[in-house]
Amino acid sequence: MVHDTLLGGLGGNLITFERVTKEYPDGTKAVDALDLEVPAGKTMVLVGPSGCGKTTSLRMVNRLVEPTSGRILLDGKDVREGNPAHLRRGIGYVIQQTGLFPHRTIEDNIATVPVLNGQPRARARARARELLTLVGLEPSLARRYPHQLSGGQQQRVGVARALAADPPVLLMDEPFSAVDPIVRASLQDQLIALQTELHKTIVLVTHDIEEAIKVGDIVALFRPHGVLAQVGAPERLLGEPADDYVADFVGFDRGIRRLSFFPAENLALTSGPFFGGDATVAQATAGGQPWVLMTGSDGKARGWVSAATLGALPGDTPLAQVPADGFGHTFTAGTDTLRAALDAAVLSPAGEAIAVDGDGRVLGVATFDQLRTAIQAADAADTASAARARAGAGGPPA
Amino acid sequence: MMWSWIPSNGAMIWQLTRENAYLGVIPALIGLVISLPLGIIAARWRWFYPPVLTVINVIYAVPSLALFIALIPAFGLTDTTVIIALTTFSLCVIVPNVVAGLRAVPAPVRQAATAMGYGPLRRLITIELPLAAPVIIAGLRVGVVSSISMASLGQLIGVSSLGYLFIDGLQRSFPTEIYVGLVLVIALALICDLILVLVRRALTPWQPGRDRRRVVAKVPVPVAVRP
Repeated sequence: MVHDTLLGGLGGNLITFERVTKEYPDGTKAVDALDLEVPAGKTMVLVGPSGCGKTTSLRMVNRLVEPTSGRILLDGKDVREGNPAHLRRGIGYVIQQTGLFPHRTIEDNIATVPVLNGQPRARARARARELLTLVGLEPSLARRYPHQLSGGQQQRVGVARALAADPPVLLMDEPFSAVDPIVRASLQDQLIALQTELHKTIVLVTHDIEEAIKVGDIVALFRPHGVLAQVGAPERLLGEPADDYVADFVGFDRGIRRLSFFPAENLALTSGPFFGGDATVAQATAGGQPWVLMTGSDGKARGWVSAATLGALPGDTPLAQVPADGFGHTFTAGTDTLRAALDAAVLSPAGEAIAVDGDGRVLGVATFDQLRTAIQAADAADTASAARARAGAGGPPA
Repeated sequence: MMWSWIPSNGAMIWQLTRENAYLGVIPALIGLVISLPLGIIAARWRWFYPPVLTVINVIYAVPSLALFIALIPAFGLTDTTVIIALTTFSLCVIVPNVVAGLRAVPAPVRQAATAMGYGPLRRLITIELPLAAPVIIAGLRVGVVSSISMASLGQLIGVSSLGYLFIDGLQRSFPTEIYVGLVLVIALALICDLILVLVRRALTPWQPGRDRRRVVAKVPVPVAVRP
């Protein structure tokens, strides 16, 4: 049973907080009677303002901080049974400042825990090079020292080091907060990709709600002084914030952001007006549409042209000779979300989103009306499934 | 300057240089061995450091000759007296550097080591002391150089060193001898210092070339000046 949760990642909670409180000698509570369950194989994000106890909660899992009362179960066992050093070797740990050992090469940094566990150094180093590739770094960096790497590279090494002994649990404390936004986005993408492959049980602390929504399977939003405001899937926090605090924290544009969780596949498309290069200006203007989408011989979109532009041209001009007035964005009908479709519509001069297939060939266009219908349908389905989930789970989340 | 004096007294000069080197290097090394545990304890338990610092500063304020004289009843006019006195002085520069070096280990590094599953002793030996090494060696350099120069004072209680050349030169009004002694003391100090720089480079290949900011920059390295 224990190993089922470890290996399968199906059902079961790998980490359970039971009435965990951390109170400092001056009486301030960092964490107040926290109950939280982290399902095996999922990414749980603890998010909240500074001083909300999210980092303290994280550090109590690997006993860098000891709770005042309550207990934390890891795979069914109280973490406070046994030797803390042994506990920690089974839990990957990544921090914002990387905490790489400056006096050790990259490969030796990554090999830290396997070597502590008694693995021969040569084997641990060979494994370290594999891990470098896994986190998207060149194995040729293995012999460098940390100061010779960029911040983003150091952070990747930090992740590789945490993964080296293949622990089932990964604790990440603001892992991407110290790097610039572009590097941060790529590190987040990398984590998501890694997680689809590795299915670790991850607890990640961040103050950035965008990051929480992007990488989290479940988001636990804290109030100041270690009280949970809401726990749930990211789309739940966006769609049904429990109160004004949650609504404020997730931000004013939560409605738009929530569309990221709805696929565009059920969006109805209009098959026109679009014309290939062989069609003439007269054919394109016959329908009286204010904008016409022109496609190339490969079926891909060439761009939008307005009726006004076409009206100034002789009727027998082939469209292939007409320059486009504007392009806008496309979205991929099978894989993109409604947010991408809405974005494409807003950016298009015609106010319509161009739907393409996986090869970029035009499938049709979606109007604002069609987008509205699809959004309302997705919203209704989502609300219904959430209500079912709550009924099944026996009440709203804490 | 009487150049011919040098080759004709070569054997004596070489002997005095060796004795001076011994009296300078040995106290600094013993000082290092004593300073490491003291510094480690002071870095770990903060309350321990102020009294230690007070004691070594008071010792440092004692004129070296007075300390020699105080030790003579117990150890006589011997090398031991000089070595004990100079060891005591070397603590004053090495202990603060051990503490500063250990305190300069970045907190995230220490925390990461703990979270990786290092016990306190293993973390100290394999992470903290190696990272503190550049600062500790900086203290050792000051300790060795000052011991070498103070060792010549041992001559005042009859312990042989390059100090002989100063006293003999002064008594005989023979400046050549004084100049030779001065140049040799400085040369000896520079050579020992250079050796320690090379040792530090060998021990810390991980340090950025000239740029040591990441490890030590925020810690002022205490530089001792004899009162």
